[in-house]
Order: sequence, then structure tokens, then C-alpha cells
Amino acid sequence: MKVPIAYFLTLSTVLFSIGTVGVLIRRNALVMFMSIELQLNAVNLSLVAFSRQLGNLNGQVLAFFSMVVAAAEVVVGLAIIVSIFRKRTTINVDDEDLLKW
Amino acid sequence: MLKYIWLVPALPLAGAAVNLVFGKRLGKWSGILGPVMVGGSFVISLLALFELLGKPPEERVYVAHLWDWFHAGALDVGADLRVDALSMTMILVVTGVGFLIHVYSIGYMHGDRLYPRFFAYLNLFVFFMLTLVLAQNFVVLFIGWEGVGLCSYLLIGFWFEKPAAANASKKAFITTRVGDTFFVVGLAMIFVYFGSFDFDKVLNGHAAGALSVGTLTAISLLLFGGAIGKSAQIPLHVWLPDAMEGPTPVSALIHAATMVTAGVYLVVRTHVLFTPTSLAVVMFIGLATALYAATSAVGQDDIKRLLAYSTLSQLGYMFFAAGMGAYGVAMFMLVAHAFYKALMFLAAGSVMHGMEGETDMTKMGGLKKYMPLTATLFMIGAITIAGIPPLSGFFAKDPILSLANRSGRGLAWLLADAAAFLTAFYTARLVFLTFFGESRTDKHAHESPKVMAVPMGLLAAGAAVAGVLAITPEGVLAKFLEPVTGLPGEFVGGLPEWALMVVSVLIALAAIWLGWYVYASTRWRALRERYPYVHDLLENGWYWDAAYANTIVPAGKWVAGIAAFGFDTGFIDGIVNGLGSLTKGLAAVGRRLQTGMVRTYAAVFLFGVFVVLLVLAVRS
Amino acid sequence: MSAEQLIFWVFAPISVAAAMLMVIQRNAIHSALFLILNFFTIAVFYLVLGSPFLFAVQIIVYAGAIMVLFLFVIMLLGVDREESLKERIRGQRIIAPLLAIGVLAEIFTAVRLGVGLAAKAPGGWDVVNQGGNAQALARVLFRAYFLPFEITSVLLIVAAIAAMVLTRGRMTAAPGAQDGPGEGEEAA
Repeated sequence: MKVPIAYFLTLSTVLFSIGTVGVLIRRNALVMFMSIELQLNAVNLSLVAFSRQLGNLNGQVLAFFSMVVAAAEVVVGLAIIVSIFRKRTTINVDDEDLLKW
Repeated sequence: MLKYIWLVPALPLAGAAVNLVFGKRLGKWSGILGPVMVGGSFVISLLALFELLGKPPEERVYVAHLWDWFHAGALDVGADLRVDALSMTMILVVTGVGFLIHVYSIGYMHGDRLYPRFFAYLNLFVFFMLTLVLAQNFVVLFIGWEGVGLCSYLLIGFWFEKPAAANASKKAFITTRVGDTFFVVGLAMIFVYFGSFDFDKVLNGHAAGALSVGTLTAISLLLFGGAIGKSAQIPLHVWLPDAMEGPTPVSALIHAATMVTAGVYLVVRTHVLFTPTSLAVVMFIGLATALYAATSAVGQDDIKRLLAYSTLSQLGYMFFAAGMGAYGVAMFMLVAHAFYKALMFLAAGSVMHGMEGETDMTKMGGLKKYMPLTATLFMIGAITIAGIPPLSGFFAKDPILSLANRSGRGLAWLLADAAAFLTAFYTARLVFLTFFGESRTDKHAHESPKVMAVPMGLLAAGAAVAGVLAITPEGVLAKFLEPVTGLPGEFVGGLPEWALMVVSVLIALAAIWLGWYVYASTRWRALRERYPYVHDLLENGWYWDAAYANTIVPAGKWVAGIAAFGFDTGFIDGIVNGLGSLTKGLAAVGRRLQTGMVRTYAAVFLFGVFVVLLVLAVRS
Repeated sequence: MSAEQLIFWVFAPISVAAAMLMVIQRNAIHSALFLILNFFTIAVFYLVLGSPFLFAVQIIVYAGAIMVLFLFVIMLLGVDREESLKERIRGQRIIAPLLAIGVLAEIFTAVRLGVGLAAKAPGGWDVVNQGGNAQALARVLFRAYFLPFEITSVLLIVAAIAAMVLTRGRMTAAPGAQDGPGEGEEAA
């Protein structure tokens, strides 16, 4: 293993930041959601990198569970988006401003 | 029975509480409960008296420590009652005369819408007055002091829907408040210089002797300031004539027999603290009030206002006596006055009752025909106050006059005699205008019911025979009080005793004759038409009240206006409202954070993460 | 240069580029496709890091199931729907990258201070992966992490039920408008 762990961690961080920007900038609910998935994957990457660094499988197990939960989350999240769309025929998150003062 | 002395104030308090809470349901029984409570107190007081008399004179003091009230640093105050000769005299007067007036009220207040409340207030007053005179320390005394002021306010303004009554009660309370301010400052000084409020510690000669004359004069004059307010002496006398707006039993009880005598009691109780200077002030104010009020009484057409000024004048006499050091004499005058003044007030109430509320004497006349019993009883009172022996008034007033003469105070003696003349004169005026002569009214007066007549009769009897307690200045009462009051001063000279007595009686008879001459006929009308200004001057009390109304009252209102509107509304409310506006403003800015949009929330969230990471990075 | 380094330096830029392009695309389908590319690169990284099992799972679950689900929904809600370019929140376009770079810098610093930029991965990975990565993972998963395993299975069932419940009630409200979930439900 010739690549230092730090490189993977840096890559993970960069991907995470890009995902963050995506969440904040985009108004399409689906693209926002996808950016969140990107963030999750970045974190999974760092988990596996640490697992390699520390020499046990806990990180991989955690990444595995993260994937499972992310799958469940996507299911529910998309169901919610679909039902909101049915009511309002828009998936622009800026239009969901009912909590405005 | 001395052990149960606490029952004496407690019974009226219980009566007041029951009547206040259950009055409406009790109905006419509230009017039974009130007198019964006071009567019970009277009986207990009487039994306590016998027990007290069973002891030798030096041991006639009983202190009842009811409970520890509060401790504040070096100050310990307990709820303590003191029974000695002085307080015993007072409670007998208060409960005895009070009981009779309560019974009278059953008839007088019959049919009034607020009948139970009246008896509740009356009982409450008796409770506070008893607390005042039974106090063993100044704090308990002050409780009673303030309490009687409160009850006076409540009772003067009993018919509060009448604007005159509401104003009068306000005036009474505020004027006595001025006196109370001096009183409180005096109390503060007592604590500073004596370190305690307990009578045993403050009112013994040793403690007082350790202080400078100036300090003692200041303290005693401050306490006397309170007495001036409560006992309506010059210059705080203006509330008493207006206080006649209250029901007549109130005038009789509070403004003749008891509350206004609280000042006299105070002076006698604390006489140890009075220096020759302060005693001179007391004497001067007493004499001045006596003379001033007597002249004003001559000009009053309202029967109750005349009696009010008469009370002022008689109180002046009591302070005059106290100022000369004759405390036992002053106390006897207090007792006798309680009888005959209460009698006269109740009789006046009887007249008003029969005349459907009329109080203007110029509209009465010839009532002797319709109300013979009332007329007779009133005349007994009138003769008493004029000072004709052997009724008690003579034994009250004559020692004062003779003491003045024989202690070298010649001018004071002359002025006091002038006041005595006027006293007899205005009383005769009242009697002749009301009961004699031609009837000036169409109303057919009727006699009062027995429930009102019997108390009056008892009071008349008391007024008549009470003189037996003080046939000489060293009589029964004075001897009884001596452990507390000491003996009057030495006699320096002056006329011999018998001569002075003759002079007093002659003055009284002359005044009564003059009163008959002017007022039993119609000569007074002619006099009034010729000298209208004199009458107006006297009727308005030498325009003293008007002077206050034009100077002090507007000034006070101006200051109060600044405090109420300028300071309270403007400044304080401004701060509070300003805080509210500030909050609103900040909120208006702050709520723009709530855009309702997910992305701003996410941005804020990220910002928070940034800050947290920064903090963590810096700390490690 | 070793194989790992080569793979890393080839796929890392692809990964970052795919991510950035995903964020920038105006068409949602294009975004999804770029994300799938990103997922593939990450799967390769898992392989490099010694976890062939996760490499497979990543492709099967993430790229194969989750992204397909995404694509279905995108197509359901309007393929040609494009976002307007105008940003309505003031300063959002400036704050977001700034903050993201800030967080990035912080974490980078943390990494540098913690792990060190030149530290190499330890060897001896074979001991841990005895019998193959899948068997090793199974050993850990079904023993130490058994309870979380069971709970996540319950979670998946609940998620499926939730999806059905959330999207069910509207069917009577808008008759004939929705075909996808309805048919999918009957087919399932």
C-alpha cells in the first residue's frame, strides 16, 4: 500500500465539500438529495480508509451499515418528494416556505 | 382573668371577621354579634380590673407576651400586651362606651343596605383601638395607631357613594398621615437612641435621663406630631368637622370617645420623654385649639359640626392639662368627655333620626315637645359640658383651670376661662335652637326607639355620676393612675380653691343665660343679619380650611402630578414600554432569519459546523 | 510508481470532476449520471483499500439500486424540467462555496495534524482479511454487530412500508394521473 491514507482523507473531504455546495446551491429537490448521497459516500470512503489505517474491520462494517441506512433513507425521502410533488406540482425547495414568519 | 387579657382585643377582631365574611347571611344577627363581642370584652376588662385592684399599687402591672413577632438584627419585637392602670382605664372606656354605641347602632343603622359591614368595621375599630392602648411596645402601638386610622377612613366613608363622604374620609386619612409621618420619625429616633421599642426599656426614667434635653425634646415633639394629627389639634384639625359625614355612631365612638383620644393617651403614656420645652408646646397647642375651636363652634349651624368643634375644643383642654403635667387630670377629662360627648352625639343622632336626616339647626326648633326624652338626655350632657357641679364635667374642667391659675399661668387661666365661657355658650345655643323656641320646620319629629334611648340613658347616667371618681385632683382615678402618671405639680399661689370654683360656675351660668337670651327667642336672627361676616368667619373656622385648600392642597397636587404623570407614567412606564419596543425592534430584525427556506437553514447549519471545527482546532 | 498509486491518481481526478459536474448540471438526468460515475470511482477506491466486498456492494446497491430509483423518480417528475438560473436568496452563491472551502481547510488541517500527510498505510492486511474479505466481514458482522444488523433489517422493512403509505393516499385524489407507483404496487 503505497498511497498514504492522508490522500484518501483529503479526497474524501473534497468530495464532501462539493456535496455541501451542491446542497446549498441547487433548488431542485432531487439534485439536493443526490448531493447528500455524495456526502455520504465521501464519509464512507474515509471510514474505509481509516479501517485500513487502523487494521481492523470496524470501519468497513460501519460503512456497510451506512449504505444500508442510506438506501432506506433514499426510499423514504423520494416517497416524500413524490407526495409533495403531487400536492404542489413543484420540486423547487424554495417554494416550501410555510415556516416563514 | 389577667391571663386572658388577649381576649379583650381578640373578641372584636373575631366579630369583625365573622361579620365581614358571613355578614350578608347573618342579616340582622350581625347587629347582635357586634355588640355582644364588645360587651364580652367589657366584661373581661372589668374582671381584669378587679384582679388588678387586688394587688398592691406598685405591682399593678401585667405584661402578656403573646408570641415572638420578629427579630431584625439587634431588634426583638414581640406581640406584647401591657395591663396597667392607664391601659385599664382606656380599655374600660373603649369597651364600655363602645358597647353602648354598638347597641345604639342597631336602631340607628336599621334598614341600611350595608348593615353587617357597619358592625364589622365598628368591631374592627374597637380591636385596633384596644391594641393601641394595650400595647407594651411602640410597634404594637403603631399597629393600632394605623389601624384606627384605617377604620376611621372606612367608617367616615361608609356611605361612599356620597361624594362628600368619600372626600371627607380621604381628607381625614391624608391629614392624619401628615401627623403619622412625624410619629414614625419619632419612632425611628427612639430606636436609634434607646435600641428598643419596649416600653419597659424606653419609658423608665433612667433610660430617658441618659439622653440630652435636645434629643428628648425632639423625640417627644415628633411623637406629639402624631398626636396632633390623630387628635385633630391645630394645625391638623381640619379633618374632624368634615368627618361628620359618617354615620352618627361613628362620630360618637371614633371622633368623640376613642380614636381622637389616642393622642392624649400617647402623651400620657410617654410623658417621661417630655421635657419642659415640649410640654410647653403641648400646652400651647392645646390651649390654642381649645379657644379656636370654641369660637368656631359658636358659628356652626350644623348640629354635628358644632359638636365636632366642641370635641376639638375639649381635646385641647386635655392637652392643655397634660402640658401642665397633670396627666391624671387629663385622663379624667378623657373619661368624662367620652361619656358626655358620646351622649350628645347619640342624642344628636336621635334628633336627626326623628327629623329624617336634617342637621341644620336653623331649620329645627321646639323639638322638646316631640322628643322629650332626647331633649332631657341632651340637656344633661349640655349641663355636664358646661361644667355645672355635681356632674362630671365640672370635676373635669375645674381642676384644669385651677391648676392653671395656681401654678402661676395667669394668662393661660384667663384664656381657658374664655374658652369655658364659649363652651357653655355654644352648648346652650345648640340646646335652645334645637329644642326650644318656635318650630321652624314642618316635619313632625318622633322619639327614638328604646334600643337607641337606653344606651343614651346609660351614658347620661355615667356622665352625671362619673364625677365621683375625681372629686379632688387626688381623687379615686388619679390615685389609681398615679403609678403611671405621677402627681401634678406644685401649686405656687393664685386664688384659693373655693374662689376658683365659684368663678367657674359663675362663668358657666352666665354663658347659659346668654345662650337662652339670644337663641331661645329670635334675637339671633337679627344679630346674624347685622353681622353676617362674623357668622361666616366663625362658621368656616376662621377660614383655616380654605387657606389649606388654596395653598397646601394645590401644591401637593402639583407634586403628586409630577410624581404620577411625569415620573411614573413618563419615566418608569417609559422604561418598561421602551424595553418592550426594543424587544419588538430586535425581534423584527431577528425574525428575518426565519425564511422558511431549507437552504438558508442549511447554510446556517454549515456555518455552525465551521465555527465548531474552528473552536476544536484552536483548542487542540 | 506502483499499481495503487497509478489507480489513485487516475481515478481521483475523475471522481472530483464527476462530483463537480454533477453539482453544476442543469438537467437532473445528467446530474444523476455523473453521480453514478462518481460512485464507480469510489468503488474502485474501496478495492484499492482492501475491501473487495464493499467494492461489489457499492456497485450493486448504490449505483445499481439507489441511483436507479433516483432516475425513476426524476423521470416521473418531469425529465425536461430545468431549474432557473436566478438565485433568490441573497449571498447564497457566495456564502456556500466560502463556507465549504472553510470546512475543507479545517478538516485538511486536522488530517495533517492528526494522521500526517506522509504516513503510509500499515501492511499486514492479510491477517485481518483471513479467508477473504467477505468471510472476515461476516465474522465481524454476525457476531459483534449482530444487533445492529437485525435492527437495520427492520429499518428496511419499515422504510418500504413507509414509502407505500406515503404514496398511497393520493391515488383516489387524482385518478388516472399517476401510473408509475400504482402499477408498480400492483405488480409487486
